[in-house]
Amino acid sequence: MSAGVWRDRVVLPLAGVVLVALVWQGIVALYRLPVVVLPEPWAVARTLAGLLPTAAFWRDVGVSVFEFAAGYSAGVVLGVGAGLLLGESRTFRLTASPVIEALRFIVPFAWIPLTVLWFGTSYTGKIVLVAYAVFFVMTVSTTRSIMQVDPTLTRVGTMLGMGRAALAFSVHLRAAAPAIASAARAAAAVGWIAVVAAEYIGASAGLGVMITNAATSLQTATVIAGMIAMGLIGAAVSAAVGWLARSRLDYR
Amino acid sequence: MTSGPARLFVPGRAIALGTVGVVVALAVWWLLSALLAGGGGVINRLPAPPAVATKLVAYARTELAQDLAASLRVFAAGWLIGVAAATLAGLLLGRVNVLGRIFLPVVEAIRPVSSIAWVPLSIVWFGFGFTSKIFLVGLAVFLVVIVYAVDGSRRIPADVSRAAAMLGMNARQRFLHLILPGTLAEVLIGARVSLMSGWGTVIVAELVAADAGLGAHLISVQQSYDVAAVVATMICFGASGFVMNALFTVAERRLMPWRRTHAREIDE
Repeated sequence: MSAGVWRDRVVLPLAGVVLVALVWQGIVALYRLPVVVLPEPWAVARTLAGLLPTAAFWRDVGVSVFEFAAGYSAGVVLGVGAGLLLGESRTFRLTASPVIEALRFIVPFAWIPLTVLWFGTSYTGKIVLVAYAVFFVMTVSTTRSIMQVDPTLTRVGTMLGMGRAALAFSVHLRAAAPAIASAARAAAAVGWIAVVAAEYIGASAGLGVMITNAATSLQTATVIAGMIAMGLIGAAVSAAVGWLARSRLDYR
Repeated sequence: MTSGPARLFVPGRAIALGTVGVVVALAVWWLLSALLAGGGGVINRLPAPPAVATKLVAYARTELAQDLAASLRVFAAGWLIGVAAATLAGLLLGRVNVLGRIFLPVVEAIRPVSSIAWVPLSIVWFGFGFTSKIFLVGLAVFLVVIVYAVDGSRRIPADVSRAAAMLGMNARQRFLHLILPGTLAEVLIGARVSLMSGWGTVIVAELVAADAGLGAHLISVQQSYDVAAVVATMICFGASGFVMNALFTVAERRLMPWRRTHAREIDE
């Protein structure tokens, strides 16, 4: 690593974190804030370090990650499938797009109370909610990327005697794959946010529940530690999806 | 590419097929609700479309206007503050390299934290009420728009900037006539994307601090197990989101007519 990269990638970002922690510490000290309002940064770090070896914390993380993974994979598969159909067939697109547009504007958060009524505090409700959130991101962007595939490719495929299905799967889907992959990465962030939000309103386990419980017992340090864990896992999830997409799309 | 004059639009066919789609969706909904009415299964509480319509009319006659006004007030204040703050911060972090290197990783680290996770902190900091909701909405909008603002502020190629300098533009003129318009054009896209995340956060904030607004109504009918009213309220959320998005699209086309193709989604 050259000195410039070292400075730009490691030293300056670390300086940012340290600076934020210092300002945070300064605000707490200056206004003599009680621990409930804002604990000191090192207290949060200590709380996080204390959480890491506990089984309960990892159970909550496991529940959230499981709900996310199940809902996300269902949402991506269904969303890409629907997007492929919408992109390939003009008739289907014109028929389905008013319904899809209407549902798309009912944001996932608005579904939370209903999923609680339908599925209670079980995992199913959260999985459905994540799948719903991911589905619309994937459908809209898959449709768009399929429709933006270079028409020359379609003509070449037709000339080579490919049928409609072969064109859709071997030409259009492959040509659109990089755009779909970047949408999948954006959808991962959306899905992760939806999981925690759903757990917040009604659930029996998960990171959202951990944060709610800490908030009701006024343990603000645990709340912030939970938020940090949520941010780190969210970043890791989206990096993992990005890595997976890159390694699968090597033929580009 | 699908943009350009090659794209033919047949409104008659689109309307006919679209109507078929809506009718089929309503029929499926109705059928499902009839099948599931007897209970059993996981979804044993799906209201039929007429029941939802009745609730919708009842809500529209009573508190809808008042709740909608409360929600929109929170949304407008939070959204405006979020967009303005993100534009300023984006210009600063995008144009001043050292600041960007220091603070953009911090912003990136905050982004994956769901806006709902900020609810406990915002309640402790600002109490229940208007300020804490504006904080939540503003934060959600800020975290979306700043990405676009940073991108836009860096979009002007260095060549163009140097050419402008050579032609006698001073730093202030370059900022006002090159960098600022470039950034604002990109901010406008971000502002549109953030409409939905901001509106979603209004719901979240109102679900938790349920004192006024559509979200408060949603949680109150949910707690009385009135599923038809829950669905009716969700429709109100969706419809107002749709109207907001449509208004913004019209405004965007007026402000930047060359950007028509960006505004189109799957509505060919």
